[in-house]
Amino acid sequence: MIVQKYAIPEDLFYDTHDFWIKVNGEEAVVGLTDYGQSNTGDILYLELSRGGEEFKQGDRFGSIESGKWVGNLTAPLSGVVLECNHEVASHPRKVNADAYGEGWLYRIKLSNPDELKSLMAAQEYGAWIAEQENSEEEIG
Amino acid sequence: MGTNWRLLDTGSISAAHNMALDQVILNARSSNRVPNTVRFLQFSPHCVLVGYHQSVELEVEENYCREHGIEINRRITGGGNLYWDESQLGWEIYAPKNTPGIPRRLEDMYRLMCESVVAGLDRLGVKASFRPTNDIEVGGRKISGTGGTEMGDIFLYQGTLLTDFDVDTMLNALKLPIKKLEDKQVDSFKQRVICLKEVLGCLPPMKEIKAALAAGISEVLGITLEPGGLTEAEQTALERELIRFRSEDWIRGMRIIPQANDLRVAEYKTRGGLIRVSLRLDRNRQCIKSAFITGDFFAYPARSIMDLEAALKNSSCQPDDILKTVRQFFINHKVNIPGVEADDFCQALYLASGKAGDSSVDL
Repeated sequence: MIVQKYAIPEDLFYDTHDFWIKVNGEEAVVGLTDYGQSNTGDILYLELSRGGEEFKQGDRFGSIESGKWVGNLTAPLSGVVLECNHEVASHPRKVNADAYGEGWLYRIKLSNPDELKSLMAAQEYGAWIAEQENSEEEIG
Repeated sequence: MGTNWRLLDTGSISAAHNMALDQVILNARSSNRVPNTVRFLQFSPHCVLVGYHQSVELEVEENYCREHGIEINRRITGGGNLYWDESQLGWEIYAPKNTPGIPRRLEDMYRLMCESVVAGLDRLGVKASFRPTNDIEVGGRKISGTGGTEMGDIFLYQGTLLTDFDVDTMLNALKLPIKKLEDKQVDSFKQRVICLKEVLGCLPPMKEIKAALAAGISEVLGITLEPGGLTEAEQTALERELIRFRSEDWIRGMRIIPQANDLRVAEYKTRGGLIRVSLRLDRNRQCIKSAFITGDFFAYPARSIMDLEAALKNSSCQPDDILKTVRQFFINHKVNIPGVEADDFCQALYLASGKAGDSSVDL
């Protein structure tokens, strides 16, 4: 589905830090959403955690820089990094160009699958984006 | 926003102290132990700071810095290498990202933050303006560069203000796209920046400059600033963080992303004159880190070339992307250069980035 020009694939989960999560059994692939990459702007640097690193939901698990802004990548779920996308770390603009494809960030092994309940489905994430966009318009 | 914010003036301190304080105040605000804060900062001794993701080795003339007592450190914020002499003034704003009136979209937020400093400069009689992505300029020349970071829901946005600036030391201390160029071109590079002293003809007392900036920030953000100091907890945390911010691990970076810094120059002859392009390229990440363009052509408006350099900064060095960036720039800025077309600049940029034959010079 498309909400306010942003693509939101329906088979993924989402969180309020603008991550998409594709669950496959006990594993998940995560990346930045179309809305997330658009808000961030041209991505210049990505610092990703290495394979084997453990983190809890909400932990910092990398950093991202665009237009002189350094932001944290916040883990959408607890788990262990099975693989980080080295290609995107070297060419971070791939996140801008193909957020749901070549721009994926991590493949992780979930350590607490119950946390999936805290994520949003596509419809809910679309409503959340619309709310964010409306509040921006009010600021003007 | 209509609330009381803390105004901190931490005076002239070392690079490690200033960088550690950024982290300490961000932590303190993030855990709601201090109010929203505006900080003025100065450096003593002079120093070079690299951006969070940069490599000291690629950005700093380390031998020169060592010989001249210039400290080297790393910011927690993004952006490029900076030289801070003791006369410069830094400003910082700490607040929650969801503060009413502050845009969530980064580019809109940059504009608001920069406009608050522009309002302050106006009180000093300086007609400055915001230049996207995140600079403040006077007549096309940069007077303030800015950048930021975040922790949880709190952001830190910071900038420099060139008051009275030692350009020659900056040119020696930083790796810039002008090494080995002729004096005339170096002079042209110096024209890219301007300081308060040059704009006003004399330098107002620092107290007056800070008061004007504080008033501008208060006005644009709709806040009341109340002078305050660091809390005891912040002082304690500062002592702890200093150990980290003085360490080689921090300064050199534990996880620096593979990157490169190739300096390339090229010349391209057109009907309207010669275009000289000097680029700092990161081939690993296929981007132009910075560009410097001179030549014997006449550009209208005169500031077009400086604005084009700003547009090229951190852009992709792929030929298709260069073409898109330059053509779009010429359209948006209604650039007119007799005898020189947008595509001529593309050719010069292709040469410098090594995409069109082998006539560029690798320095």
